[in-house]
Amino acid sequence: MKLQGEYKFDGPRDVVWDLVRDPDVLAKALPGTQSLEKVDENTYEGKMNVRIGPVAGLFSGKLVVSNEVPPESYTLNVEGKGGPGFGKGGGDVQLIDQGDGTTLMTYQGELQVGGTIANVGQRLIETVANSMAKQAFESLNRSLQARLIGEAEGVEVEYQAPSELEFASGVAKDIVGQLFSPEYKNVWITLVVAAVALLIGYALGKSESS
Amino acid sequence: MDVRTAKKKFIGQRITRNEDPRLLTGQALFVDDVHLPDMLHAAFLRSDYAHARILSIDTSTARERTGVVAVYSAEDMGDFWQEGPLLVPPPTSVEGAIFHKRGQIPLAKDKVRHAGEPIAVVIAHSRYMAEDALADILVEFEPIDPVINLERALGSDAPLVHDDLESNLAAHVVQEKGNYEEAKAKADLVISRRFNIDRGAAAAMENRGVVASWDDKAQELTMWDTTQAPIPIRNGTAAMLGLSEHQVRVIAPFVGGGFGPKIMMFQPEEVLVPWVAIKLNRPIKWIEDRRENFLATTQERSQVHDSEIALTRDGRILGVKDIFIHDTGAYDPYGMTVPLNTQCHAMGTYDVPNFYTEVKMAFTNKMIVTPVRGAGRPQGIYVIERLLDLATKELGLDPIEIRKRNFIPPDKFPYEHNIIDQAFTPLILDSGNYQPLIEKAAAMIDYEHFINEEQPKLRAEGKYAGIGIVAFIETTGVGPYEGARITVGASGQVNVVTGVGTQGQGHFTSFAQIVADQLGVEVRDIHVVTGDTAQFHWGTGTFASRGAVVAGNAINAAAGNVRAKILKLGSKLLNVPEEELELAEGQVRVADLPEQSISLGELAVIANPLRGTVDPGTEPGLESTDYFGPQYGATAAGVHAMILEVDPETMMVEIKRYVTVEDCGTVLNPLILEGQIQGGVSMGIGNAFYEQLVYDEDTGQLLNASFMDYLIARSTDMPPRIEMGHQETPSPLNPLGSKGAGEAGAIPVPALFAQALENALADYNLEILETPLSPNRLFELLHKKEN
Repeated sequence: MKLQGEYKFDGPRDVVWDLVRDPDVLAKALPGTQSLEKVDENTYEGKMNVRIGPVAGLFSGKLVVSNEVPPESYTLNVEGKGGPGFGKGGGDVQLIDQGDGTTLMTYQGELQVGGTIANVGQRLIETVANSMAKQAFESLNRSLQARLIGEAEGVEVEYQAPSELEFASGVAKDIVGQLFSPEYKNVWITLVVAAVALLIGYALGKSESS
Repeated sequence: MDVRTAKKKFIGQRITRNEDPRLLTGQALFVDDVHLPDMLHAAFLRSDYAHARILSIDTSTARERTGVVAVYSAEDMGDFWQEGPLLVPPPTSVEGAIFHKRGQIPLAKDKVRHAGEPIAVVIAHSRYMAEDALADILVEFEPIDPVINLERALGSDAPLVHDDLESNLAAHVVQEKGNYEEAKAKADLVISRRFNIDRGAAAAMENRGVVASWDDKAQELTMWDTTQAPIPIRNGTAAMLGLSEHQVRVIAPFVGGGFGPKIMMFQPEEVLVPWVAIKLNRPIKWIEDRRENFLATTQERSQVHDSEIALTRDGRILGVKDIFIHDTGAYDPYGMTVPLNTQCHAMGTYDVPNFYTEVKMAFTNKMIVTPVRGAGRPQGIYVIERLLDLATKELGLDPIEIRKRNFIPPDKFPYEHNIIDQAFTPLILDSGNYQPLIEKAAAMIDYEHFINEEQPKLRAEGKYAGIGIVAFIETTGVGPYEGARITVGASGQVNVVTGVGTQGQGHFTSFAQIVADQLGVEVRDIHVVTGDTAQFHWGTGTFASRGAVVAGNAINAAAGNVRAKILKLGSKLLNVPEEELELAEGQVRVADLPEQSISLGELAVIANPLRGTVDPGTEPGLESTDYFGPQYGATAAGVHAMILEVDPETMMVEIKRYVTVEDCGTVLNPLILEGQIQGGVSMGIGNAFYEQLVYDEDTGQLLNASFMDYLIARSTDMPPRIEMGHQETPSPLNPLGSKGAGEAGAIPVPALFAQALENALADYNLEILETPLSPNRLFELLHKKEN
């Protein structure tokens, strides 16, 4: 499965670079992350809860950064496994200085999954992966804003990472959003599926809060 | 008249099933209904990788989890870890055949060869605890590129599924009848195409399951197993465990559908559960869940064919050539049954004088392939019927006419094909009469009327409606043998015991009908027992559409013997010659003086005296055991026809009418036969348009291992009614004249569906060269055509 996309950060490239190379910030930004530890300069190990449709579980894995060209680009390789299967992927990330104080991040990579997440969650993986990426970037961007304000005012600004519940409802919203794309002509099917997706989001929220 | 044959009063009648009251009121025992004191539950750790080396397995954390009693990996099995046996002989009777046996293994040791392959088993107080503990087992893998694509599997640079072989070639068999190349040289028309056929699931309603219990004091093992072959499982399990056959009892109770994979013996779960039961001296239960069933229950169908047909200008077949790759999956314990069946059906119902068939069987990193209802036959029929359809278009002939011109004429039976079949005997079609089948089917579906009047009208309305009609054979009722014991009890009740298992075929009724005719008792008074090795010692199982033929005739023979005993004893007691006696209403009586009678119950008591003497050589009781083994298989045949309509926007297909005309010899019970055909057709419709197991070519992952994504055909996908006609051409190979029908319904459907679709979409001049299709795929094919 191919992964690619871009995201515009509202801040200068150097600050964005520091942010994406900070395991504590990343751990907060990636929803479901339980821990992310720096093992050496380029390797991180961690645990993360992942839920794809009916499949959920704890993954433990490794993240390796290579080909680093600060603050322009790096390569990211991820490997993780857990009860519901395994995932393995890699990709290149570029940070482009837009010249207006913003930074455009582009990425392109590949992800392979196996086990239950592949057998049963196949239909949802792409949506969930994109949704996770999008939410992680949004979270990072908020973190970035907090850091920028903090720097400007010389105070530490507390950044509140999203909860898994907020993440789950975000995924549900994205699934619904995708269903309303023009390729779905049949309104009734869309409405029914949307209702189901919202119910899943609701159920996830319930199980999260209980 | 031979005393062993009776007038047919019950055979051929639409009798409702003896077993249904129990099934419908929840009184029938299935494996999961077995609850034993102190029973533990098993869960299997299955590989997430399709192809990987196992570097290490660490079960220590799993062992410590609350509720876990034991965890075993291959290493813990010691000498009990063995490669499984070859379940059918290798194709050595074909000259020059190559076959590499790689039997299934109980737990993967140094390598996993398909996603879903078991690596370890956890035994715990509940299934929940056992499944939780699976996540505690740490396995270190080194992934290897998986072998998925069939053609690439046989390429020289393909990774090896079995490292000790030079390539992924599992077998190579060439068979030839006549000389195809010479025939081709004389042909007016030669058509070659490639056909792609993909996998589907058997998807029985009940998944697999095993319960095993060891009685330490009696030194006896009892196993409840969803198997189609209880006696071979008993024999094999005893051998593996170092027990005698008499120490092992295998019970195949009611089973919710077999469809082939449950004939597959010595699967890891079936081997490990009894072993653990003995080791721990505790009953163990394992019930497969649906995801396990998708991943780790055997599957069928994938083949790639390069096929060719040579014809004269007037549509007569001069020869057929078919070179194909057959996917056997990660191991080949079931030998070559499936591809040999394909070879034997690629000439269909036709008088093909020259035939060249070559199969290369490939190992791949997918689940093992063994027969699934149809068992290689649908692929063979697909090839020959598609080739004929292509020829029909080229020659401007009528699809019915070209078939009639090529049918084997009735006076040519038995018809020798001079190739070897799945039973390793020469392929001989014992009997048949094909032309009336197609005429009847054409009449039933109003073929001419549809083509000439209805279809033009529908086309004018913008509707894409089409018609199809195809013919097929089914080799059925293969040996080696089955047996039965029939006993008349003191109450007059008749007990019938046979070794085959039952998975919904109506054996409790059709077998009873055979006995009812012989003994003159009501069908409801006959008690049939199947699938319990404590009750009957010999036999092979329910497969290859053989129950009614092989077990049915064994029952007929045993019942004939009991009938002879009754007549002999009755004649002595009533002082009337045997010829003047009749068996009716549970009595033996004088035909002309019915009041002079003895009930069968009384006779059974007299036949088993408590004191006094008997004549030398007297067998006690009204009982007999007998066996039947056919010389070779009986060949059934049929013609199916359908009318369908394609929605040009959604590409959904609605089947408007479906007609079957089947000839499976003597019909024992039309109600049961029609049920079998109905079920087969529904499976065939799934094979044609809905059901496809999709493996990712890069990772070897099965991408639709649930009913959310795997589209099993539903009642709403069926035609409103399946209209059925029958023809009876009795088999000369068995006294009942019966032929099998269990798989027939599924065999012609993909070929029929393709023909009807092409007919409906005639404007697009579409060629369908693959199955299964789907609305998506149909859209792609049409789109490609338009560009």
